[in-house]
Amino acid sequence: MKAEFINPFVTAGIEVLEMVISSRPEPGQLAVRSATFTTQQISIVIGVTGDVEGQAVYGMSLVTATKIAAAMSNTPPMTFDEMASSAIAELGNMISGNATTRLSEASYQCQITPPTLVRGADVEISTAIPALVVPLYTDFGKMEINVALRERRRDGAAG
Amino acid sequence: MANILVVDDALFMRATLKKLLTDAGFQVVGEAENGQIAVQRYQELRPDLVMMDITMPEMDGLAALREIKKVDAGARVIMCTALGQESSVRDALSSGAKDYIVKPFKADKVIEAVKKAIPTS
Repeated sequence: MKAEFINPFVTAGIEVLEMVISSRPEPGQLAVRSATFTTQQISIVIGVTGDVEGQAVYGMSLVTATKIAAAMSNTPPMTFDEMASSAIAELGNMISGNATTRLSEASYQCQITPPTLVRGADVEISTAIPALVVPLYTDFGKMEINVALRERRRDGAAG
Repeated sequence: MANILVVDDALFMRATLKKLLTDAGFQVVGEAENGQIAVQRYQELRPDLVMMDITMPEMDGLAALREIKKVDAGARVIMCTALGQESSVRDALSSGAKDYIVKPFKADKVIEAVKKAIPTS
């Protein structure tokens, strides 16, 4: 996977999180993760189709997700209920939408699928190719951005 | 008081928009979680304005916008979406959307766009 594909997601993650939780996260070290990996307690999975295709997976602990959802709703952190799940899924949608806008500026036209929220640690997720991972450190804990994308060839075959 | 239909697959976003619009003095008369339901709800409710997401299951917001415009050419629709690329904005505006708001949004931007789309409110 080209490293240039993860940068729009990291920048989008920083900017969207800064706007919704009112504090700017700090990115950590880039790492490579095998094509099958296990989830954290809360994961948002979003498909990307178009000139590049694959998945973006945003992972975090339940505590972090609950705190971020509360900040997004402007309410005190309570339980991770349906509204909190929806807020966290929407966070993934906003980051991915913002990232695909940035990819389009680099001449990669992409669409995203509606987010799927996976709850439960150690759930296996398989991506077509190894993912690049960058953690973002927020005031509420760490959120990992996993991006597994490949460029689609003009003849329609992915490569 | 202007009547507004809020369309988004995310419960959180529907609740956020509903509160924001209600606090600003608008009435949210209905909600829909995908484009297909949005078209049905539009025909039933004939709202003054629709706030429409794009990425949704079943039928996306751009397809729903076109369907609503077939039903009522004068329908006022504001797209409210995480997708900010030029091609989506162009598609939406050429299909008759009044405005295009990119998420995450600031509340005053939304209210400003709504007031602009409904000049009599």
